Amino acid sequence: MTLNMWMPLFALMTSLMASLVIFVLPEQGYRLRTAVNLGAALVKLGIVAVMVWGVFHGVDYGLSFTMLPGVEFVLKADALSMMFAGLSAVLWFLTTIYAVGYLEDSPNRSRFFGFFSLCVASTMGIALAGNLFTFFLFYEMLTLATYPLVVHRGTEQALRAGRAYVIYTLTGGAVLLLAIAWLQGLVGDLPFREGGHFGDADPALHGSLILIFVLLIAGLGVKAAIFPLHGWLPQAMVAPAPVSALLHAVAVVKAGAFGIVRVVYDIYGIEASAMLGLLEPLAWLAAFTILYGSARALSQVDLKRRLAFSTVSQVSYIILGICLFGPVGATGGLVHLLHQGIMKITLFFCAGNYAETLGIHRIDEMDGAGRRMPGTSLAFTVGAFGMIGAPPLAGFITKWTMGTGALASNMDWVIGVLVLSSLLNAAYFLPILHRLWFREPRGSWPHERQWGRLETSAWLFWPPMLTAAMTVLVGVLASLPFSPLSWAELVVLRAYSS
Amino acid sequence: MTLWLMAGLLFTPLAWAVLTLLTDFSRGRLVSWAGILVQVLVSLGLWLAVARDGGFYYGLGGWDAPLGIELRVDGLAVTFVLLTAVVAGACGLHAGAYIDPDKPWHRYFWPLFWFLWSGLNAVWLGGDLFNLYVGLELISLSAVGLVALGGQAGALRASLRYLLAALLGSLAYLLGVALIYGQFGTLSIAGVATWLSDHPVPSGSGMALALMIAGLALKTALFPLHRWLPPAHGIAKSPVSALLSALVVKASFYIAARLWLELGQPIGSLAAAQLIGLLGSAAVVWGSWLACRQQRLKQVVAYSSVAQIGYLFLLFPLTFSVSETVSLQAQQGMTLQVISHALAKAAMFLAAGNLILSVGSNRVDALAGVSRFLPFSLFSFGLAGVSLMSLPPSGGFAAKWLLLQASLGSGQWWWVLVLLAGGLLSAAYIFRIYRASFLESSGTDQFFHPSRSLEVIPLILAMLALGLGLASDQVLTVMALPFEGEGAP
Amino acid sequence: MMAFESFLLLLAVCVPLLYPIMALAGGSDKVMRHALPLLPIPALIFVLVAQPGGQLELPWLLNGGLWGMDELRRLFLLLTAVLWTVAGVFAVGYLKVHHLRRFCVFWGLTLAGNLGLTVAVDIASFYSFFALMTFAGYGLVVHEGTEEANRAGRVYLAMAVVGEMAILAGLLLASAAADSQMLSDIPAAIAESPQRDLMIALLIVGFGVKAGLPLLHFWLPMAHPVAPTPASAVLSGAMIKAGLLGWLVTLPFGDISLPVWGTLMVVAGAVASLGAAALGVCQQRPKTVLAYSSISQMGLMVLMVGAALADPQRAPVLLPVIALYTLHHGLAKGSLFLSAGLLLPSARMHRALMWLLVALPGLSLAGLPFTSGALAKLAMKEALAEDKLEFALAGYLSPLMTAGAVATLLLVLRYLWTLTAKLETGRNPPMLLAGWLAASSMSLLAFWWMPWNVEGLVKAPVWLPALYQVWALIWPMLVAVGIAGLTVRVTRSVKQR
Repeated sequence: MTLNMWMPLFALMTSLMASLVIFVLPEQGYRLRTAVNLGAALVKLGIVAVMVWGVFHGVDYGLSFTMLPGVEFVLKADALSMMFAGLSAVLWFLTTIYAVGYLEDSPNRSRFFGFFSLCVASTMGIALAGNLFTFFLFYEMLTLATYPLVVHRGTEQALRAGRAYVIYTLTGGAVLLLAIAWLQGLVGDLPFREGGHFGDADPALHGSLILIFVLLIAGLGVKAAIFPLHGWLPQAMVAPAPVSALLHAVAVVKAGAFGIVRVVYDIYGIEASAMLGLLEPLAWLAAFTILYGSARALSQVDLKRRLAFSTVSQVSYIILGICLFGPVGATGGLVHLLHQGIMKITLFFCAGNYAETLGIHRIDEMDGAGRRMPGTSLAFTVGAFGMIGAPPLAGFITKWTMGTGALASNMDWVIGVLVLSSLLNAAYFLPILHRLWFREPRGSWPHERQWGRLETSAWLFWPPMLTAAMTVLVGVLASLPFSPLSWAELVVLRAYSS
Repeated sequence: MTLWLMAGLLFTPLAWAVLTLLTDFSRGRLVSWAGILVQVLVSLGLWLAVARDGGFYYGLGGWDAPLGIELRVDGLAVTFVLLTAVVAGACGLHAGAYIDPDKPWHRYFWPLFWFLWSGLNAVWLGGDLFNLYVGLELISLSAVGLVALGGQAGALRASLRYLLAALLGSLAYLLGVALIYGQFGTLSIAGVATWLSDHPVPSGSGMALALMIAGLALKTALFPLHRWLPPAHGIAKSPVSALLSALVVKASFYIAARLWLELGQPIGSLAAAQLIGLLGSAAVVWGSWLACRQQRLKQVVAYSSVAQIGYLFLLFPLTFSVSETVSLQAQQGMTLQVISHALAKAAMFLAAGNLILSVGSNRVDALAGVSRFLPFSLFSFGLAGVSLMSLPPSGGFAAKWLLLQASLGSGQWWWVLVLLAGGLLSAAYIFRIYRASFLESSGTDQFFHPSRSLEVIPLILAMLALGLGLASDQVLTVMALPFEGEGAP
Repeated sequence: MMAFESFLLLLAVCVPLLYPIMALAGGSDKVMRHALPLLPIPALIFVLVAQPGGQLELPWLLNGGLWGMDELRRLFLLLTAVLWTVAGVFAVGYLKVHHLRRFCVFWGLTLAGNLGLTVAVDIASFYSFFALMTFAGYGLVVHEGTEEANRAGRVYLAMAVVGEMAILAGLLLASAAADSQMLSDIPAAIAESPQRDLMIALLIVGFGVKAGLPLLHFWLPMAHPVAPTPASAVLSGAMIKAGLLGWLVTLPFGDISLPVWGTLMVVAGAVASLGAAALGVCQQRPKTVLAYSSISQMGLMVLMVGAALADPQRAPVLLPVIALYTLHHGLAKGSLFLSAGLLLPSARMHRALMWLLVALPGLSLAGLPFTSGALAKLAMKEALAEDKLEFALAGYLSPLMTAGAVATLLLVLRYLWTLTAKLETGRNPPMLLAGWLAASSMSLLAFWWMPWNVEGLVKAPVWLPALYQVWALIWPMLVAVGIAGLTVRVTRSVKQR
């Protein structure tokens, strides 16, 4: 049916059009802009929901045309892309609500929301890209769309962060481009295909394939913040809270991780990657990043910076998961793509709430904030426990599945990494929780503002509550159909059966 | 039908040049707008005709070669004609609103503009060396005149310098043409190529080719012969700078490229090809570096042209002694680069002009906080920047992709490094502008919004540059078999 | 499981979880305070009406949930429900206004965890509730907010997290080896796995943190005294038993003989029961003494766990005894802890009665005839009888138990001694008194109607020991009294000089 063909494009266009419309709206058009924002987000949510349903039942959504000689522009929806698209659609909606409240009365809102939607459109494109070339198109678009958000405040610090961001990501993009072009020259245009393409690659190509793989990972690793390419991420936390939330949970960091998943599964194929000996080193690198990020997070005094290093650590779980050669481990890695998003966005929302409502930025200012802002603090607590991997929250499902997968593929050392990282996570999250709930407030808050009937503005209050509830639900209800875990199992089933 | 189109294409610019010579600026503007309309329609018609029926040779005035002037109307040529129509038309419209009609010397803008246009068309369609020379001279002289329209002493100095370079280039070229004629007895490029395919290469013909290419390189401002370009482009009126950067330098490059593709294989050498490539690379690096260091907005854009032109010269090594596919990829890449740079750079200069008009200063740091006012021009500037940084989905990216493929395919991996580094360096100077515009400073409350028509034109051009990447395949299909043609029929 | 029972079970675990929601929704402090004893009521009803063996499948939960109750869990669940109820009653009278709501939230969460882990049969929900109890318990420990409480909380949390991780790793390995998500499949899989020792070590250490195994016990004497009294009661009475339950449901009892692990556990148990007593009698504060007493008592249970590990044939006999001992100790210790929060009445008769009721559960711990302690001690003695146990250390167990009994009474006496110094005169709030009285009566009276099982070990009537047994129970107590008297005299004379 032709409608199915156009569905991916519709999904993409909702955000893109929203972005363009917002750019031309006047700065003062608060209501109209909010309506456009939320309307587009809702429409997209609907489209994605339809597509999720369709993909589950085997409907083929695809659109392609030739862009350059021998190069196709392909949009396609498979189980994996719907995973990312779904995450992006849901969290975009919530983040938009949050951002509307967060940016109330601040300047440059048109600019902000325009680029914000553009950023989400890129994410959608990344999710729905059907080959490496198309993926790269949106990957770079994401870089550009995010820059204005990172530097949004226009302070010296923000501009410095933006500069670091651009230097890292554009260089990564260049390396990625080289790798993709090389691969293209070597074997032609490769669509993403479950099971990959190099199961029976010519042994003469092995050397080049390994080198290309390294380049691909290096290029994608910048956004995925793999050690030692993570330097931009902690700096970028100067961005406004909704941006950090989106950056860490859905957009940039996840784009990198998602790309790595695509490369390993749908380009090389998991068997071929293992055969070429590529997974083991990558797994070690990911494991090191997990521990490194956590260890660095320990010593941070700025809340958002601590969260940023925590992201460095958490995203590598995804990569570690897919490097575990086996369906269960892969499920663990993939499901974390969603779980980490939900949990981290909760934490950043909360960090934003503390900053906006009480003026809290540093951890030692958080004493007793739980009494003043119980809802936010509850959400933060849930998110933090999720990150630690405490059951029955989302993080636990990840760790359990990954641990089981590691054992199934005889990589027992991964258990050690998981345990150690959980310990470190506990070491840097639990003191915060203690401060929140059990310390007495220090008198006055750094910069308090009264904001409506709730503990903070309702726009800011509900998104973290919802994501916290989701953190609990995706863990507790992990066995239901269409839960992240079940969906990840579906993805893996399709990847391994072909 | 095509007869009429050709006639329209060739004679309108000349007719309008004469016509506008007789009027003052404001009336010339009205007249020119009508002319622009005609030109754009005619170019479009021609393009469509060629896209449908394929290319043809057109003897001017019914005389065929070798006696008469023969025009080569193939896909590539008409594409460039159309490009010229779009860019020049946009610049003309912009100039009409941008240039102050009250300065008396501004009335010469329109005649010079039309002469330039006719020269460009002559170059795109020209088939023999001497005709090309005439077109080239027409372009150079009117371009110099346009630069001089700036009026101040600086503009005059820059235009004199430009004139000198242009004349020197023409001289070298002419010398080469003379040598070629002496050796082969024909001025038609195709004729020379045919002759060479039957006979051994006469000694000394390398010299002729080298002279011609050196002269053209000077006119194209290839490193290290680029010194004249930034002052001229930087100081001219924005629409003029746009014309110059987008089209004028491309004309000389176009001739050089055609010479190389027809005669390079028999006459040229590997060393020469690599040397030119090396100079191009140096231009990329050096131009970008200097662009990063400029304090004035238009100078940044002008140095960026130096860098972008460097890419074009990678055509020489990438088409010498390589397989058919690689050569094709390189040519396609180069064509896309020419088109996308023309669109993007024109957009950028026009947008820069608007920005300068808005903030009242031509310095980069005067842009602090401008993004708060969400000027369209900044947006257009940014979009054009995307193409210059060769990020997807712009035409610049498509070009870079093809060039990367060509470099990898031919095993000349060092150009890969140049391409990637060039992209990053251009990002450095473009993000410098973005950065400046995002800086929140307290002072900027004064902001002048230029009229919508001024803002829309660069936006359209930038959008075209950006969208080119998505439509590259279609564009390349029309330009099928670029740079190739049989000898005279 | 019938629909009604299933519903009751769900209710039992979920009702305490209402508290956080109530707190967020702005429920009144008064309601929350007075509802504290009501939270475990569904669990209590469930354990009274439901028959063991029923199971409730919750396929949507985590990796597929399965809750249920067998004989073993029944006793643990009963203990948990009873103790939390009486402690809840006590808390109504005890709590001050200070951070009341926060306390109630953590109380509810900890309770939910404690109840849930007792009925969970699948690994994921068991571990979830275990973690919930551990982390929420932190809120109870540091509630007072003093410097000391914070320090204790830090130690508690650090050790608890390490324990959690050991459990996680152990369960992961075991679950992978069993290729199952059910606890019931784990022991057999561990028994056959090549990584058996690693898994056992992880599980023993992980649950050992909670159960106060020597060297993993540091948090216990720090945390119990600083927590509010009703919280200490449930910590010591019910929550540390969760560690024990963890061992009982995961370790491979009855499948293979593990003499090395058995020996290790027995040694650990002996060190705990005697070492803790030695440390405990030196303490000044009543609740600290009680905490050491808990470690010491847990040591005796560890002893039995060790024996059960070593001798698979005897394990089926030992497990019900361990459960019985748990029940007895939990009720008695709960009552003792609550008594630390009392005020002395001024009337002489009341005062004497009160001292009697305070002392009786303590003496019960030491094995006073006609108390639950006597039954537990006798059953334990029978179960560990040298001639029926195939274990190298079997001969040492009986003297160890006797020494343990002496140590127990010494600690109890020390507790009463420190309590005399601390108790102030005043009027007890009625609910506080009611809670304590309920706890004591549970330990002294209601115990006899509870569904424990000592068939074949102690002759009926179980509450009336035979004469020779009475002597066996009494003489260690006399020794202890003698030592205590001697000590008092010596210290007095030293002080006089």
